[in-house]
Amino acid sequence: MSTPTTNVRAGINARTIVWLQGLAGLAGFAALLEILPRSGLISPLYLPPFSTIVVALFNEMMSAEFWSALDDTLEAWAIGLVISVIAGVVIGIAIGSSNALRTLTHSTIEFLRPIPSVALIPLAVLLFGSQIQSTLVLVVYASFWPVLIQVLYGVQDVDPVARETARSYGLGSWAQIRYVVWPTTLPYLLTGIRLAAAVALILAITSEVAIDTQGLGKQIADTESGGAVAAMYAYVIVAGIIGVLVNVGARALERRVLAWHPSMRLDSAGARA
Amino acid sequence: MKNTVPSLSRRITVVVALPTALIVTWWFASAGSQNFYFPPLRTIVETFGKLWFSPQSMQNIVPSVARLLIGYVAAAFLGIAIGIPVGASRNLRNVLEPVLEFLRAIPPPVLVPVLILFAGLGNEMKALVIVFGCVWPVLLNTVAGVRALDEVLAEVVHSYRIGPIARFWHFILPGASPQIFTGLRQSLSIGIILMVISEMYAARDGIGFVLVQYQRSFAIPEMWSAIILLGIIGIVLSMIFRAFETWILGWYHGLRQSQRAG
Amino acid sequence: MVGAASPMLDVKRLHKVYADSSRTVEAIRDVSFSVSQGELVCIVGPSGAGKTTLLKCIAGLLAPSSGEIVLEGQPVVEPPPAMAVVFQEYGRSLFPWMTVHDNVALPIKHKKLDASRREDLVRDALAAVDLKGVEGAYPWQLSGGMQQRVAIARAVAYEPHVLLMDEPFAAVDAQTRADLEDLIRVLWRRLRVTVLFVTHDIDESVYLGQRVLVMSHAPTVIMEDVAIDLPDERTQLETRSIARFGELRKHIYSKIQLAKQGWRPPTP
Repeated sequence: MSTPTTNVRAGINARTIVWLQGLAGLAGFAALLEILPRSGLISPLYLPPFSTIVVALFNEMMSAEFWSALDDTLEAWAIGLVISVIAGVVIGIAIGSSNALRTLTHSTIEFLRPIPSVALIPLAVLLFGSQIQSTLVLVVYASFWPVLIQVLYGVQDVDPVARETARSYGLGSWAQIRYVVWPTTLPYLLTGIRLAAAVALILAITSEVAIDTQGLGKQIADTESGGAVAAMYAYVIVAGIIGVLVNVGARALERRVLAWHPSMRLDSAGARA
Repeated sequence: MKNTVPSLSRRITVVVALPTALIVTWWFASAGSQNFYFPPLRTIVETFGKLWFSPQSMQNIVPSVARLLIGYVAAAFLGIAIGIPVGASRNLRNVLEPVLEFLRAIPPPVLVPVLILFAGLGNEMKALVIVFGCVWPVLLNTVAGVRALDEVLAEVVHSYRIGPIARFWHFILPGASPQIFTGLRQSLSIGIILMVISEMYAARDGIGFVLVQYQRSFAIPEMWSAIILLGIIGIVLSMIFRAFETWILGWYHGLRQSQRAG
Repeated sequence: MVGAASPMLDVKRLHKVYADSSRTVEAIRDVSFSVSQGELVCIVGPSGAGKTTLLKCIAGLLAPSSGEIVLEGQPVVEPPPAMAVVFQEYGRSLFPWMTVHDNVALPIKHKKLDASRREDLVRDALAAVDLKGVEGAYPWQLSGGMQQRVAIARAVAYEPHVLLMDEPFAAVDAQTRADLEDLIRVLWRRLRVTVLFVTHDIDESVYLGQRVLVMSHAPTVIMEDVAIDLPDERTQLETRSIARFGELRKHIYSKIQLAKQGWRPPTP
């Protein structure tokens, strides 16, 4: 559909147009948020005008509370994500490398996967109260599965001929993993990390809303019950922006790492958004 | 790769082996448990039977599942209805993409407090939360599915002068359906989470509601039984979804298989 | 057959330019020709000769930059109901979620025929392309040659006056191609339909056509309109061994070699 542009200036024009269109969309959305409450179509008590929300956001950003809440959320997110990724990789490679283990654990994995992590909230509360450990329980449980599943796909995708060759050359398990399994699994792992990062953020904030642990979620719940509606929306927007940054960052990481990596991935199920 | 198809009994054994072993281990390891938070499995199972096989259990299970289904189906229709025109028009996509990326990045449970403002504490709020949370994966995947429609097929449709309605039913919708189902699958997990959260936060009935009640009153075996029930519901819904997907996308699985073989 | 009162299809000074923000590509400079009712005309040319572009303009799928296409006296601005197209990528031109039967029946569903007439058309079309017992199968369960036959059956069931074929056998193996070529001649005879057949295979164009239009490189013009004076009854074995076949082939081949070197006929 698109012809390769030989004219660089024309190429820039095409991309600028896309950027401008996107900007127009955002501006239109902000305008909508401004007009709806002001015109009375939606009560400003429920939805303050966009400008009011922005002012509240700046106010919040000047308070120490804002930054410590942000820090708490990101801390829970990061720690939980790291734990899930390491666990997912280790367990995934271990299970994936053995046909027997894979078939044996398949049913268990398929049973455990759909269990909603939020079901663990009461248990986490009883055990850890409103501390960060409660959040971590939820974050790790929820974000572990995408990583595991993707790593399993990756290990399965390893070329059996390559594996046989490595074995016949006397390469030990560790060397096999390093030179044969890992390169094939890497693209899948990155997809898993992208999915896990998004889920981890959602669960981190969710547990803060539900369990009252320190963080952005708690701020949202508190501002709502305290009637500071504009501030509540300000925090919602911050949560959204963090989410966008995480998504964009994960995708950029994926592209970066795979830029030099000969992607051996075909049309795997994991490639979809 | 083994080429022989294992016998049915062997397949069943493989499926239940590990889960059975785990459950048995749990049973015996917790048998004499004095730990308040981790009662014997036996106690939990007994409580489960008492609690959830009574007629009153329906008073909690039915509203929960009903809210979930209503919200989920509404989100599915909404997501597909918006996703198709957006996927078909490049300009529309360019304009809306940043806004949609932002909206979908807002963690859905965050909307519970927001929607309480608008819709109070009743069923509408919970259904709305589920709709708002579930619509994004469906919408974004529908857009991706429509974008990826085969150009040759589009020309066939054009050259045979196939009208807009037939085009929608026989080309756009089936063509995008594999991708749409990916979105529907993600939405289901999100829907279940939101169903529970909204009930934990503000409700008078529902599984999430009783779960929190048990936790607050330290009724531990009951709490565990509710957790297990949620797990079972999650599993059952997932299996129903998978059966539905296999039925609708039978052609797609056959196509992929033949491509891989060829 | 040749030289009927008014032509079935008239291409007048067709000119097509592709332009995007960075550059313009002149695919077709000036192409004019006529096709009479019931003729089988082949279009052959080097790759990059804009043959597919030409076919798409004729089919109403692409708008020309200037010039006109007239079908049965009416200008073509969008795909006309009297035309059916068979594409090269048979795998992608059939709907994988429909059975063979539904694939063939889809285009005629809106033609306001009653169900039994439609069923007859589908059944006859599948029989005409020598496909038996596959109505309930899915396209991806069939071989490449069979899939292309389904695409042809779909076109046949549509009851077109003009059949456009865009290198339909390029992606098929040689043996299947030979069978499909003969199938086209049989269908053409039986249905008395006008056929415009685009190919890059010179042998195929000579074997099939009553006329062969030789295209130049882009920007495309017609190098020559070659009349194929081979006997009407053609078989793969016999016809291809006649001396005249070799002469025609050589003639067209040399014209194409000239085209590749950039030579083009003087403008009239």
